[in-house]
This record gives sequence, C-alpha cells and structure tokens, in this order.
Amino acid sequence: MGWSGTIIHEGIIYVGTLDGRVVAINSSTENIEWSYSIAPVTAPSGGFSCGGTSIPTAIYSTPVADKDMVYVGTYSGKVLALNTLARSQNLTFPHRGYSEWEWDCPIDNARSNAIVANLLVGEDDIYVSSSNGRVYSLDMEFGDLNWESEVLDKEHRKLWTSPVIQGNTLYTGTYDGHIYGLSLETGELANWSFESEAGFASSPVIYDDTIYVGSFDRYLYAVKIGTDVPIWKFPEETPAGNWFWASPVIKEGIICAGCLDGKLYAINTTTGKEIWSYMTKEQKDETSPVISLPVLMDNLLIVVNESGMVYVFDLNAELANEGMPWRTIPIGTAVRSSFCAQDGLVYIRDEENWIYAVDIDRGEVSWRIPLTTEE
Amino acid sequence: MVEVWNLIIGNPVLNVLVALSQILSGQFGLAIIALTVIVRLISWPLSKRQLKSSKAMQDMQPKLQELQKKYGKNQQKLQQETMKLYKEAGVNPLGCLWPMLIQLPIWIALYQAIMRALATTPENLLDLAQRLYSWDIVNQAIPLSSKFLWLDLGQPDPYLILAIIVGGTMWVQQKMTQAPSVDPRQQSTSRMMTMMMPLMFGFLTLMFPSGLALYWAVSNIIGIITQYFFTGGWGYLKFRSPFQST
Repeated sequence: MGWSGTIIHEGIIYVGTLDGRVVAINSSTENIEWSYSIAPVTAPSGGFSCGGTSIPTAIYSTPVADKDMVYVGTYSGKVLALNTLARSQNLTFPHRGYSEWEWDCPIDNARSNAIVANLLVGEDDIYVSSSNGRVYSLDMEFGDLNWESEVLDKEHRKLWTSPVIQGNTLYTGTYDGHIYGLSLETGELANWSFESEAGFASSPVIYDDTIYVGSFDRYLYAVKIGTDVPIWKFPEETPAGNWFWASPVIKEGIICAGCLDGKLYAINTTTGKEIWSYMTKEQKDETSPVISLPVLMDNLLIVVNESGMVYVFDLNAELANEGMPWRTIPIGTAVRSSFCAQDGLVYIRDEENWIYAVDIDRGEVSWRIPLTTEE
Repeated sequence: MVEVWNLIIGNPVLNVLVALSQILSGQFGLAIIALTVIVRLISWPLSKRQLKSSKAMQDMQPKLQELQKKYGKNQQKLQQETMKLYKEAGVNPLGCLWPMLIQLPIWIALYQAIMRALATTPENLLDLAQRLYSWDIVNQAIPLSSKFLWLDLGQPDPYLILAIIVGGTMWVQQKMTQAPSVDPRQQSTSRMMTMMMPLMFGFLTLMFPSGLALYWAVSNIIGIITQYFFTGGWGYLKFRSPFQST
C-alpha cells in the first residue's frame, strides 16, 4: 500500500501520479515517451448542493507491465489497460485495435470503489482489490470480469493491501485481521483462513509456505499457511516503534522489513530473531519513517526513507551483518512511493513528481526529470 | 503554530477518541458521544455560569415588563433602564454565545480527529500512524470502523435525519436561552440568529462528516437537558416576549 511507484519494463520506466497520469520514461534517453491523463469522474452529489462532485483520479497503485501493455488501477475505481504503441501515438483511449480496455469497479452498496492496492498479474488474468471489500479477477486481454469474491472485510471494506499468489490460491490480508485464501479459478474462499486480533497494515509476502505481514499492533507476523497460530511475531516482546507499513523483502532466510519508526530490521525467517537493525535518519540526523518497500538488486538491499536518504546494504559483506550500510546517498526530497532498480540504477519518484535515477556504484543522482513537462 | 496546535489539542483529542473507541467495543460513534459528554463536563463551570445568567434573565421578566409599560414610548430610556437592570442583576444578555465560541477549537480538533482516525485516504492513514501515542489501547483500536447506526461517520449523512436533529435541537436550545431584548433592532437580530444558526448547522450537517454532526447533536441534547433541570423548565421556549405584543 502506498503511492504509485516506478517499474521498469524493457527499458521504459512507468509511473502513476496523484493527479491521474500514467507516464512512460525512456531510461536510456531520459525523456518522457508518453503521458496519459485519466479523465476525472463526476458522481452525483448528496445534500442540497447543485451539480456533480468531481472524484479525483489519483493513482496510488504502481502500474504493472506485460509485453506492450501497461495496467493501472485508479482511486476513481477504474482499471485501465494501456498499449504503449497506442499511447506513444496519442490515439483515443481505449483503442480496441491495440487491445486497450477500461473496466469500472462496481460501487457496491454505496461503498467507495477506489483502487489503492497494486494490481496483481497472473498467467492470463489481473486481480484487483477494491475499497468495496471485494477482489475481482479480470481477463487480461479483454478486461472481462471472470469472478468477484464475496466481501472480505464487512467492517472496514478497504482492501488497500495487495494480494499475493501461491499455487492456485490468492492470499490477501484485511484490516479486520484476517488472511483469506481465494481460489484463482473461481474466487471462492479456500478452506483455510487466519484470524488475528489486530488488522493487517502491509501487503503480505510469501516465502517457503509462510506468509509475512505487518500489523497495526506494531508487530510483524509469520504465519505458516494452513495453521491457526503464528510461527512468531517480531519484536518478541515490546512492539516496534510504529507500523510495518511496507511489505518486507526476503533473501536466503533473512527478512528485511522497513518500519514507520525509521528502522530497518533484518530478521531470521525461521526463528523470528533480530539479526541486526539500522535506524535510518534524515540529513539533520532526525529519524524518518520507511514508507517505501525495500528493493533487492543482486546482493544489494536498497532502502529509502521518507526524507529521501537512500541506504544500500551489501548483504554479502561483513558490514551488513553488523547492520551498517555500504552506501548512503541523499537525494534530499520526500519519498513515499515504491521504487525499482536495474543495472545499478535505482528509479525513484519523489512527492514533487520528479523521477530520480540514482547510481549506486557512484553514490550519486545520475539524472532527474520532472513528470510535468510534457503531456 | 500548527505543531503547537497538534501537540496541545489536535493529537490529544485524536488519541482520546481512539482510546474511547477501543473501550467502547470498537464503536467509534459511541466514542464520539462519550467524548462529547467529557467535553461538556470539562466546560461545566462555564455552562453553569451561563445557565445562572439565563435563569436570572428569566426571573427578571416581570421587571422587564414593568419597564416596557413605563418607558414603552421612549426607546432610548427603555434601553438605558433595561441595561441598568441587567447590570444590577449581574447578567449579560449575550452570555450564551461564550460557551459556543469556547467550543469552537474543540469542534475543529474533533473534525480533524474524525477525519484522521477514519483515514479515508492512504495519506490520512499514514498521517494517523505519526500521530498515535504508543499506548496499547490506542494501537489495538486501529483501524476504526466508520459504521454507526445508519451512518458512515466519515461521510455526510445521505438522509436528512441528522440535519433535522442538529437543526431542531439547536433551535430548541437557543429558544430556551435567548432572552428577549427591549431594543427592537437587537430583538430582530436575536430572532434572526435563533433561526439562522439552526438552519446553518443543519446545512453544514449535510456537508461535513456525520461524526462531527453527531457531536453537535449530542452536545445540543445535553445542553437542553442541563438547561431544563438547572432553570427548572423550558425557559424562553414557552415564554412569550412581552415586546411581541406591542
């Protein structure tokens, strides 16, 4: 859950913005290839006010790309399939000849249909979690609805965390403290579900048949699929300083989790014991929350905190075992969204809608461009 | 300035509201009602003064009628004598406005607390994480449910029910406390205020989150009950102004 981050696919960086644009940037030429603005939605107003209410078309979910297609979910409850060739020619959307489509999430029982969670791409389908409490499966080619799940969290509805797939089951965490398994074929609930006292704040991650997920009670839980009791919760006794908002990343038995208390924790996946932790700071030495998901690039773990400090840990080096970063690169701007990394460069969108390419080896910003110069 | 506000009023109100919600079985609506009662209890010394003033005004009505008979044709003299009478009795005819003005920061803090606590956007949810105290009771309450009776507390009431309750209770409370004035202009102003304020708040109810309107409604009802028992009746609600007959 968070703000639309970057992905890189075939040399093109894709990103969504809070003002409702999907932007494609060529990572080689450092130019905007195309930008598509999603039209605002007008909904009937309540009360005595005249006219309709304009619903913002903010994009919170990170786009996903497959071949020539880019898929994105919007806060106004739409899923768009954009063809990169059609968009670079600025053709009318949706252009059927280029397999483009648009899907409107139903407004279920007057509940918001906003899409905040990242879309999940399966083999031929896309899975969409909505603020109306349902998960939807869409045909990737035509945007047709395959199935819709029952309402998973009747109390809060908001499914703002992204689901994950293992085998033929899709797993999703809810704000009322459940982890549900859904059949990928039918959307029906699997036999197993997990119930916790506290709601789940972060998107779950699966590693070795175990689900790792952050909770609103400031713990990180490890739940073996098929069991009713967590294997462990971290920290063991007193809770962390804040929520584990970002999903953790896992490599070779080590789970790395960023926390809103500003710390990065490295935890043993089997025992749940802390291996090391590191308190990230801002340039004035104050703590700054880790909102963005950490990213792995080979043996490097990259973490960015809200104040825009990029920390690089070499997981193979001795320093990492002591929780010391190999590199610290300040970019000096607020970062909340997830980011991606490829070929030694990390692509970060800041809150001012600039894209930064950070060169890890050189330890500096290689280039940056605003997302507002071209339409 | 914003940081000071949040430190002293904004964050404490938010955390108390969230903690109350946990105590009251996760019912955010009940937490708002409980907070309203707490606010009314804290402001009781002020309310008591206002009620005393209101009672004194009520008791003065026969004397005011006498003045009206005596100086009815000389408005200036009538006004002077009336003000003298008020001064002697130590009452302020506009005293009922003070409790409302003092409640204004609470309304603002409560509005912010409701919007923050219910976290209708990811920004709100992240902002909430930064504002919550590390109390267990607070962290166990998150995330809150916005459902209460027929209301979604983070959204305006789609029906007119809450608007009618807020407007109606405010009108009753104002009628109970608003003393008639000897000055026709002041009388006309206060009559207009008695109508305009309930209408305005009824209208605001249609636009603001119903959680805030719930606070207004409960606060008004508590005001009516305390006024009824303190002054021993419906006050000016049943009292016909002597000046209306002229």
